[in-house]
Amino acid sequence: MKRVVITGIGIVSSIGIGVEEFWKNLLDGRSGISPVTAFDTTEHFTHLGGEVKNFDPVQFGLKDYTKSLSRASLLGVAAAKLAFEDAGLHLQDKDKSNTAVCMGTTMGSVQSTEYINEQMVLFNIKNFNKHRICQVPTNSTPSAIARFFGINGPVLMFSTACAAGNYAIGYGFDLIRLTRADIAVVGGAEPFSKVAFTGFNQFKAVAPEKCQPFDKNRKGMMVAEGAAVLILESLNHALERNAPIYAEILGYGLSCDARHMTTPSVEGIVACMKKALKESKISPNEVDYISAHGTGTVANDRAEVAAIKEVFGEHYKAIPVSSIKSMLGHTMGAASAIEAAACALAIKTGFIPPTINYETPDPECDIDCVPNTARKHNVHVAMNNSYAFGGNNASLILKKYRG
Amino acid sequence: MRETDLVITGIGIVSPAGIGREDFWNGLIEAKDCFHEISLFETTDFTVKKAGEVADFNPLDFIEKRHLRTLDRSTRLLIAATQLAIDDARIEINEENTHEIGIVAGATFGSLHSICSFDIEGLTEGPRYVNPSFFPNTVINSPAGQVSIRFKIKGYNTTISTGFCASTDAFVYASDFLRLKRAFVSLVGGVEELCEETFRGFYLLDLLSGTDGTEPFSAPFDKRRNGLVLSEGAGVIVLENKEYATSRKARILAEVVSYAMAFSSNSRGTFNSESALKRAILDAIEKGGLRIDDIDLIYSSANSTKELDRMEARVLDELFKDKVPVTAIKSVLGETYSASGSLAIASAVETLNKGIIPPTCNVSAPEYQINIVRDKMKIDNINNILIITSDPYGSSTAIILGKYRS
Repeated sequence: MKRVVITGIGIVSSIGIGVEEFWKNLLDGRSGISPVTAFDTTEHFTHLGGEVKNFDPVQFGLKDYTKSLSRASLLGVAAAKLAFEDAGLHLQDKDKSNTAVCMGTTMGSVQSTEYINEQMVLFNIKNFNKHRICQVPTNSTPSAIARFFGINGPVLMFSTACAAGNYAIGYGFDLIRLTRADIAVVGGAEPFSKVAFTGFNQFKAVAPEKCQPFDKNRKGMMVAEGAAVLILESLNHALERNAPIYAEILGYGLSCDARHMTTPSVEGIVACMKKALKESKISPNEVDYISAHGTGTVANDRAEVAAIKEVFGEHYKAIPVSSIKSMLGHTMGAASAIEAAACALAIKTGFIPPTINYETPDPECDIDCVPNTARKHNVHVAMNNSYAFGGNNASLILKKYRG
Repeated sequence: MRETDLVITGIGIVSPAGIGREDFWNGLIEAKDCFHEISLFETTDFTVKKAGEVADFNPLDFIEKRHLRTLDRSTRLLIAATQLAIDDARIEINEENTHEIGIVAGATFGSLHSICSFDIEGLTEGPRYVNPSFFPNTVINSPAGQVSIRFKIKGYNTTISTGFCASTDAFVYASDFLRLKRAFVSLVGGVEELCEETFRGFYLLDLLSGTDGTEPFSAPFDKRRNGLVLSEGAGVIVLENKEYATSRKARILAEVVSYAMAFSSNSRGTFNSESALKRAILDAIEKGGLRIDDIDLIYSSANSTKELDRMEARVLDELFKDKVPVTAIKSVLGETYSASGSLAIASAVETLNKGIIPPTCNVSAPEYQINIVRDKMKIDNINNILIITSDPYGSSTAIILGKYRS
């Protein structure tokens, strides 16, 4: 089967827009958490979140699309544009039918839905124009990306909640391996959602001040937004055009807990990591970085660490495991795509981003979580973990590219 | 020469035409009247009062009362269809095989009503008074997640949201997963519930039949057509590796010949993706090692809207002229959106086994030269059926199913 490499990365996040700014701030341990501006949080228990500041669609050539595209789609198209530029990729006519788009989300263009609800409930407005309504369908995001870049291959939206980015990256990888595409534009996009913010608040799962994965005194997760797009290419296609290569994707694993909608299960996570390793033909002791799902809730962190111990055995303390959600918060459908980008960048640059806000060790989470400061570390093989509502688990394996 | 070695071994349907394989099929071939006054929500805001509700769906036939409370309608529909499919395929899911079994569901607006109810409760009662037990329903993968929980399906669980193509795309994805040996068995579903929010969207986009106050009707390819009738339902197909199906002595209903997906990035307007549809069809035919002449029947996705039907008719006319019979079951079922592809696949499987084509009803003044099957028709020696779906944003998917010969 064809080999698949990552040749471009585009990020729109609360700590930076574009790979350079994002990566610098991630290694500096900068937090993207700030007071929520998308809606009034006076009545909520908490008031902070990870919003993308200074995002101006016009700077991305999207001036004509600000009415017809949802925020999710604008974030997604902007990330895609950055990824194309980063990859130095200009689609030739012959490429267009051989390029796929796979994106991930939790609730789709949910800000557009929330806007309509607000107009109806607060102002009794029941008429909305075509542009407004056409923002709502979830597949408007990958379709907007395809239209923007003239892509004519398979165009898909994966709605597998907080693991959706990995599902989308995984299927893009599959499409290339199966020779159904040479290029796949993959990732995730999620706008800041009031429904998610309210829901997690009502679950008492949101931290009031900061996200502290693996810390004994953790108070929960942070709701956030963002988008990441990766350009995947068959190795041949990348080599032919002398593309820069960040990393190779070796494989991935999916599993379903089949147990509870919101509480993660160790068994399901273990199955998922094992499948990913098996498909990638990687043994546990070859993994030298794990990007944790690491939401900063007790349930997640403990299940994840227990699963890592089971899969990696004695060796587990030797593997750096960090959660960039400590800086970005939880960007939902975009999270595992942003984290996959971080894995690729760790492989490329030889630095691992930290888990910030780490203060008090939790004996149940005695992993090396790369506390508070980035670390120089040669990463050959990285594992990117993600878990979601519905018991959906996905682990992706990336490796340093060698010819 | 088959691109794949995959077979269909079971079908579960919950639709306005009928619940269960047999009732669904009888409803289709007898052209049951599926469109009635809407009971699920108030229609005061709309001039259209009818839709294709699954009126006789009683979730208690499938789900115990104690489990029912927090499950939304999409989830109930998908659970019911899954139960029927598992029973039909006579497959037992247990600890031994569950990691080799996955589910992929097509759902786009499946959770929209849950999202809106949750959001509106926050707006009216205040965010601190929203009931958290309904929060898990707001993720689009909640129907598939609940199906996995109920039937203990652990291999994988994926939800694909590509609108009108959602369940055909789910079928393609599941087929790829079987080919990649990620599973032996994949349940492929599609689900969409009828709710006020989805109805309002279609209504405001002027896509519904009967907005002028006249009786809504679904007449694909007919000159008189004036929009679609919105509907709901769920379909689940059991797809297996042939080797696995044979080893468990499963009854094989059909085989997968080939499939293809395409997008039309330069189309403007709604349902204007001729190039994608044409490419998907030709690609599927080529991958199946077939020629145009080998297609014996086409399951069209025409839904009685001006744009989609015109686009499909143009492509089918160009590729097949009037040589290949075409049927549009949305004339009976209405538009079930993300579920529609799974219902078309289910019906095509019945046609392969029974040699009968369900009718495209209400066609009295066909607008196009294609060979529309207007009355239920017997067909001999049927080998390959082409199933197509198209989405207004520009996606098209084509699937070819073949008669299974052991």
